[in-house]
Amino acid sequence: MMKRLAIVLALVVPMLTSTMPVMAAQQLTEAQKQQLFLKGAKLWPIYCNHCHNARNPAEYAPYQWNAIMMHMRTQGNLPADDAQAILEFLKRAR
Amino acid sequence: MSRRSIAVPMVMLFVLASVPLKAWAEDPVSIRQLKREMDQIKAEREQERKQLEELEKKIDELQSSNQKLQKTTTTLEQANKQLSTQTTQSIAQMQKKLSPEGFASLFGNYLGEHQFTLTGAAGGSFIYDHQAQTNTFTLDFEPIALYRLNDWLLFEGTVEASLDPGTGASFDLPVATAQIFLNKYMEINAGIFDQPFGDWYEDQSAMWVNPFITAPLLYGVEAIVPPTDIGVQLRGGVQWGELGQDADYTVWVSNGPTFESSPGVNVLPAPVIGETIAGPDNIAVQSNTRGFGGRFRVYPLPVDAGWGRLELEASTFDGKWDNGFWYYSWGVGFAYREGPFRTRGEWVEAYRQMPSAASLGAGAYPGCCGHDNRQGWYWQAGYFLYGIPHPDLGAFEQYFDRTEALIRYSGVNQRSVVAEDISTTPSFGFNGSPAVFAPHSREVALGLDYWIAPSIVWQTEFDLELPEAGGTLYTFGGANRPLASAVGATTNDQAVLTQFTVGF
Repeated sequence: MMKRLAIVLALVVPMLTSTMPVMAAQQLTEAQKQQLFLKGAKLWPIYCNHCHNARNPAEYAPYQWNAIMMHMRTQGNLPADDAQAILEFLKRAR
Repeated sequence: MSRRSIAVPMVMLFVLASVPLKAWAEDPVSIRQLKREMDQIKAEREQERKQLEELEKKIDELQSSNQKLQKTTTTLEQANKQLSTQTTQSIAQMQKKLSPEGFASLFGNYLGEHQFTLTGAAGGSFIYDHQAQTNTFTLDFEPIALYRLNDWLLFEGTVEASLDPGTGASFDLPVATAQIFLNKYMEINAGIFDQPFGDWYEDQSAMWVNPFITAPLLYGVEAIVPPTDIGVQLRGGVQWGELGQDADYTVWVSNGPTFESSPGVNVLPAPVIGETIAGPDNIAVQSNTRGFGGRFRVYPLPVDAGWGRLELEASTFDGKWDNGFWYYSWGVGFAYREGPFRTRGEWVEAYRQMPSAASLGAGAYPGCCGHDNRQGWYWQAGYFLYGIPHPDLGAFEQYFDRTEALIRYSGVNQRSVVAEDISTTPSFGFNGSPAVFAPHSREVALGLDYWIAPSIVWQTEFDLELPEAGGTLYTFGGANRPLASAVGATTNDQAVLTQFTVGF
């Protein structure tokens, strides 16, 4: 029992401690946002079209893209930075 | 000094010089007159002096006024400059607020951090099957509710409303999950979820995403891997090379696979080879093990190379379907898209452990024992016609460019099927062909999609069912033990489906 508990703790503790900094909302500068936008514009037609036709950024409001891109990050297991870039593109390209 | 003030002394000198002293002394009238004139001149000079003083005073006053005016002007100029700066700043702020991004930010603040979004799909189709002699309209509605609590927690719920024969709408809850983003590389997905085995259930089964109306045979009514499950996933993705060179993983533990005869399901009275997979194991009544799965995908092509996106995938899902009896499945797949061309395929093998005849002894019955092996595969490809070089087609151009031609070949091999599982009633996404239930089913599907918008499509599909001979049919017929009969050559069949789908 103790051995199992130790294994679980060994897995969970590093997971949670590595989580904390990422959970804080990231504040990006305008220049960083512009770079993300350009990266997202490059990824959007390729990553989205891989599974389905890429949706038009104008279809949803920016706040809706926030939720939808979280959903799509899960569905596609997208790398976090790439998902953030595509989100920035979708929100700005409307 | 004025001319007059100079002229008066000159006149006096002239008079004094020209008049003899004797005469002057002897003429008192002249002296008085001269004195009067001198007094008059003095008075005039006094008056002029006063005038000068007044003028100087006025000049001083004017100079003072001028200084005041200059000071006022400077103050006004400074105030004007300040006002101008403030106005420019205010206009810039207003413009920022009125820009789409600024408005979005304000609107986002107004909505708050908890945000609700509704997506999903709805579709209506018409299905005709030649062999079953059925034709019907069907309807399906699958809203997806996304509830975002913050940037690391999202709830997702999919409700499926379909219209089964002879009833009102029936509802299902195929997905209800909490998605917790731990960091850049790890996410927990807990709840009831599409089985992350291969790509089909999770990424391709949505009606507006699937370029065909039906599912490939191995993921259809005779599926060889459970479509949904309840449990916990750990998943994530990482870029390992240049942009686009990614890898991702999903590992999960769940209630595990169940078949129709599994404890707690009990649709069939006894386990038999060929029985179909049951729905999700909502409450695991077995005490042995849960189901365990893993999927790994890699994307080797960099985005900047311009070669499209290629995915290579391998999956496994294993668990005990009944106390002491294992179910194993594994598969490999690929997907590729470049411009108007897309293709994907999977090959899957599943193995189900059955009791041994020796252990059952006299209790053995047809289909009880041995191994329940199944294989399934599909390959599909699509091509948007805009990729074909063509002359100007005028008004027809837009219709041509939005059309996609598709082909899919899929099949399932299994040793047997169970008569009670066979249903030729068509339903949304299923053509109702009896040939689909052959032990060695094969299907060629031809599709023609007209994409009105990226998620609005009118699809037409022609299915050629080409089952191969062989296998066994087990029939319970109300009894506790099945009877076995051989399945010979099964008749080929054709079906036509057309469907209008809106992803929203």
